[in-house]
Formats: sequence, C-alpha cells, structure tokens
Amino acid sequence: MIDGTAAHLVVSGITKRFAALTVLDRVDLAIARGELVTLLGPSGCGKTTLLRLVAGLTLPDNGHITIAGRDLTKVPPHRRNVGVVFQSYALFPHLTVAGNVAFGLNVRRRPKSEVAAAVHRALQLVHLEHLAERPIAALSGGQQQRIALARALAVEPDVLLFDEALSALDRNLREEMQIELRRILREIGATAIFVTHDQDEALTMSDRIAVMNHGRIEQCARPREIYTRPASLFTLQFVGLSSRIAGTVAASDNGRIQVETPVGRFEAAGTLAPGDRAIVATRPEYLRVGSDGGGNTATGTIRTIVYQGSRCLVDVEAASGQSLLASLSGDQAADLSTGAPIRLSWPVTETFAFPAPEARP
Amino acid sequence: MTTPTAAPRRVPKLGRERLAAVGFALPALVVLMALFVAPLAVLFAASMRGPDGPTLDHYGRLLGSATYLGVIWNSVKLALETTTIALIVGYPAAFAIGRARGALRSLLLASLFLPLAASVIVKAFAWTILLRSDGLVNLAMMALGLTQAPVRLIFTETALIAGSVNIFLPYMILPIYTVVAQFDRRLVEAAATLGASPVEAFLRVVVPLTLPGVIAGVALVFSLSVSAYVVPTLLIGERYQTLTTLIAKAYLLAQQPEFGAAAGVVLLLIAVVVVTLSARFGRPVRGRS
Ligand SMILES: Nc1ncnc2c1ncn2[C@@H]1O[C@H](COP(=O)(O)OP(=O)(O)OP(=O)(O)O)[C@@H](O)[C@H]1O
Ligand SMILES: [Mg+2]
Repeated sequence: MIDGTAAHLVVSGITKRFAALTVLDRVDLAIARGELVTLLGPSGCGKTTLLRLVAGLTLPDNGHITIAGRDLTKVPPHRRNVGVVFQSYALFPHLTVAGNVAFGLNVRRRPKSEVAAAVHRALQLVHLEHLAERPIAALSGGQQQRIALARALAVEPDVLLFDEALSALDRNLREEMQIELRRILREIGATAIFVTHDQDEALTMSDRIAVMNHGRIEQCARPREIYTRPASLFTLQFVGLSSRIAGTVAASDNGRIQVETPVGRFEAAGTLAPGDRAIVATRPEYLRVGSDGGGNTATGTIRTIVYQGSRCLVDVEAASGQSLLASLSGDQAADLSTGAPIRLSWPVTETFAFPAPEARP
Repeated sequence: MTTPTAAPRRVPKLGRERLAAVGFALPALVVLMALFVAPLAVLFAASMRGPDGPTLDHYGRLLGSATYLGVIWNSVKLALETTTIALIVGYPAAFAIGRARGALRSLLLASLFLPLAASVIVKAFAWTILLRSDGLVNLAMMALGLTQAPVRLIFTETALIAGSVNIFLPYMILPIYTVVAQFDRRLVEAAATLGASPVEAFLRVVVPLTLPGVIAGVALVFSLSVSAYVVPTLLIGERYQTLTTLIAKAYLLAQQPEFGAAAGVVLLLIAVVVVTLSARFGRPVRGRS
C-alpha cells in the first residue's frame, strides 16, 4: 500500500447516490504515478460510476478526488487531463478513424504535422493504421474498441481510465493488447484504472487489484496477495477457486482458531471467538494427496477429474456432500480415478477463516 | 470527403434488389407524374406562350424591371428572415423537447403538433386580431405603460416576420427534434474527456451530428415561407409585394396568365435551388478527418 502523500491519484471518502440507491459508499483508493489498478467486481457494483467520478462526468455527493496533489473534485472533465476508454466506445460517427484519434489533439490545437504523427503512432499501437480513412460505421466491434483505445492514448493523459476496454477482443488479440497496453502505459507513465470482469486479465495486468462489492472496495492489494490472502469471504469467492466449509469455532488461542465442521476439525489463522459461526477455506493449489500436506486433513470420494494440461483439478465429495477442490500436479493425479476414496491435506498457514454470513430468515 | 475504401460498396447491384427498389418506388412515381410533373409542364408551357410562338418575353419583363426584381427580393428576404429566426428559436427548442422526459415531453410535442392542425388562414387571422390597434399586444403594452397610444403593428414587416416564424416554426423544430432525440449524449462526454470545452464539444460533435436535421428544417421552412401567400396577404397586404401576391394578381386581376406562370416558374426555381443546395450539405456527414 502506498501512503496518500506519494500517491498520484487519490480518491478519498467518495460517496455517490442515485436517488435512494447508494452506488458508492465511502470509497478510498490511492494510486501511485504509473501504477495500474484494476477494479474487479460483479455487475452493478459501481465500477463505471467510480470511473465517471474520477473523469469528472459525475459529481460525488461526498468525498474528494485529487490528482498530483490538486483537488479536482469540482473541476470539469475537459480540464482534468483524464482519458477514458468507454464501455460503449463512444466513437464519433461523423469522423473517420483518423479523425476520431486526432480529436483530442485537434482540440489542443497541436500543429498538423504533430497530429498526423501522433495519430499514426496511436493507430500503430492498436494495429489499425490501415483503417485510418475508414468511417467508424465500417468497423467491427473489436476494431472500434481498439480505436477508442487509440483515441484515449493519443493525447497521453496523466490518468487513463479503461472501462472493460478489451472485452470485445478475441482471446489472442486480448492477450496481445494486454501486454501492449502495459508497455504503452509504462512508456507514457500514465496512472491507470482498469475495469474488467475477467479475473485472468486482472491478475496478469494489474499492479494492484481493488475488489469491489456493493459500492465498497473490499480489498486492494497485489494480485498475488488477493489470491493467497483474501481479506473477505467475498474476495475469496469472487477471485479464483476455493473450497469452503461452514462450521463453528471450537477454540481460539493466540490468533489461531479451531473450527469444528461436518468434514472434520480444522485449524486456521483468525481471531473469531469460540461459538461463532465460521467458514474455513483454502485454495485448490494448497491441497495434497495424503496426510503430510500440512496440519489440516479431510477424506472423501473423487467426484470429477478435469485435466488442465500440466495440472488436474479434482473435485472431491467430502462428508455430508461438501465439495473440496484440489489442483494437483500430474504425477500426484496419476493414480486417481473417479469414485475412489481419497485423503487430502493442506497447511494451516494457507487456511483462511471468515465469519459466516448472517443467515437470512 | 468520401473515402475511396467505401467506393466498392456502391457498385450497383443489378437483379432482384434493384427490381424491388423500382417496384417500391413505382406508386409514388405514378402519383408524382400525374399530380406534379404534368401540371408543371403546363405551367412551364404557359410561361413561354406568345402571340406568335414560344417566347421568353414574360421572363424578360419580370427580370428586367427593378420593381419586379424588388418583388422577388421581397419574397427571398421574407423566406431568409423567417428561416433564420426559426432556426435560432427552433434549434434550442428541439433540444429542450429531445431532453425532456415523460409527461413534459408529450406536452411539448403536442404543443408542436397541434398548431399544424389549424389552417394557416386561421392562424394568420389570429395574428391580425392580436396585432391590431385594440389587439391584445397593444392593450398589454399600454397597460404596462410601455406606450401611451396604440402602436401600429399590423401591416408592418415586423408583423409579417413574427407571423411567418410562428406559423412555420414547427417545420423547423420537427426535423431537428428527430435527430436530437437519437443523439447519444455520451459522445459529448467523450469529447470532454478528450479536452473539449462545452462550446468546443458543441461545435465539433453536436453541430455536425445534428446538421442533417437543421438542413431539412431550413429547406422546409425556406420553401414554405418563400411560397407563402396567405401570410403576406393578411399580415402586411399591399405594402409588401411578394412573388406569390404578384402571381395572384397576374392571374386574377390583370388577366396575364403567361406573366403569372413565368413568376411561378421563378418562384419554383428559387425553392428548388435552395432545397438542392441543402440536400448537398445535408447528406449524412460521415467520414471526415
Ligand atoms: N445515472 C444513473 N441513475 C441511476 N442509477 C444509476 C445511474 N448510473 C448507474 N446507476 C446504478 O448504479 C449502480 C452501479 O452502476 P455501474 O454502472 O457503476 O456498475 P458497474 O459496476 O460498472 O456494472 P457493469 O459491470 O455491469 O458495467 C447500478 O445499480 C446502476 O443501476
Ligand atoms: Mg460498467
């Protein structure tokens, strides 16, 4: 985490309501210059709204937005130098591809030769220089999305906001653009917020991931930390696969708790009090076949085995129908067959415990 | 600028598609031929009828006299002024209707359509009642102390333009409104994030994208007001001769149908030129860099 003084873009205490609906609830986010933070969260959790607030297209009900120490909360969008790649592209239908990309530069009254060079460069970045003179209507969705990208990049803004900017691209092109985009952002030194639904995209592209839910940032941390140290049950469930077992805390001692579940008694790091309802969880990578994978063990029957190239994802049905997911290496999975009994174990240090969500009556 | 890459799309496709297009256009074509082209041919022939064979004398008389040129100018001036003011008033009005939601929008649209149901004659008479010396406008001005005695309003150019704008305004607003209603506001937001001030976004994005509606409105209002007869007759009368009143006089009083026909052709040409020019500018603007 970076402290507020070093941060380039700071969102502090932002609240946004639409009538009775609170779409953003006291959101805090500090991003260093040149850093790329991904907003990851379910549809409707407020990602686009947060981007619009940073861009100045919507005003917050509460809170402040500063860029490079300047309070921009009430500054209109055209004086913020914040570029946006819109979820809907929002390309200008009356202009050609080149006209769209040149728009921001023309508005800035840059000399013609400079504009032409910048447009060419931006189109090259997205591999569409051959379409420069095409009208927008004559482009595919993926091409339009890349033009929107080129248009935002051409003016080299201080802060760039991407709202699902690669969603319309096929897998190969998307992966290529992810790498390209990272390189470009580093080159122009822009601070970026990237909204995506795609976890893999978030994990590969981001310096940090901010997991959002119901208008709040649940956790903002490096991708590895999000995956290995989820701060909430929501993050655990939303990012990556996990095995989760509900139970009751039986003992609590020095930051270690014992949770009694139908599958067995598990130890985890945590501060819940005895008697609390809890959910213990772990990631599939930590499970091993046998008893010596670390302090927690469980037994069950193999339900399915999914081959994933070098690894296998094994779904094990434990006692009372609970499901345990194990991602096993090839040689570990070699002798396994569906329907066979299996014993799994995993380290206490990689076992998480969260308070169980309130049961709704 | 049209792009060379778009050209191959325009290669005419012979065959079923073409035939279907002709088929769909056929009824309209027949009606237009019978009701429009044929009478025009008659008019045209009449305008060149002379005692000994075809002649251009009537056109010479019309275009060779300062008085008649003044009359032509009066018609054009009336149309230009009406169109300009209708555009200035109608453009923002069209936006207001386009932005309004729910009941307000229905109300505004109704207020636009309802006047179209009343005859031009009724509306022109309404204006004469409003503007006469004991009319509502004068009474109001005197009540407010703006003037002691009634001001002459009716039979002035001001009255003419006010009435003409009022009567033809819906024809300006409607085509602009249809374009504005489809306008994607997010484009203005995109322009803003690219550094365009509201004024610049308006000039670079809103104006070009609403231009087709503006052009259609201008063409409509110009051709309607340049050929208006009832409006100048009732609101200004003898003092302001227009091509339309001239034509009426030539046919009804002077018994010179040839001269009236020539004036009619000139009036038609003015309208055709303006509409053609607008159509050229109004082609969906697309693909400009
Ligand atoms: N202008 C608005 N008026 C009223 N409600 C709005 C408005 N804009 C957004 N909302 C609501 O705010 C919530 C968050 O919307 P937002 O567009 O930020 O979601 P999102 O996280 O971007 O979702 P998605 O992933 O589907 O794009 C939604 O419930 C939406 O209905
Ligand atoms: Mg969104």
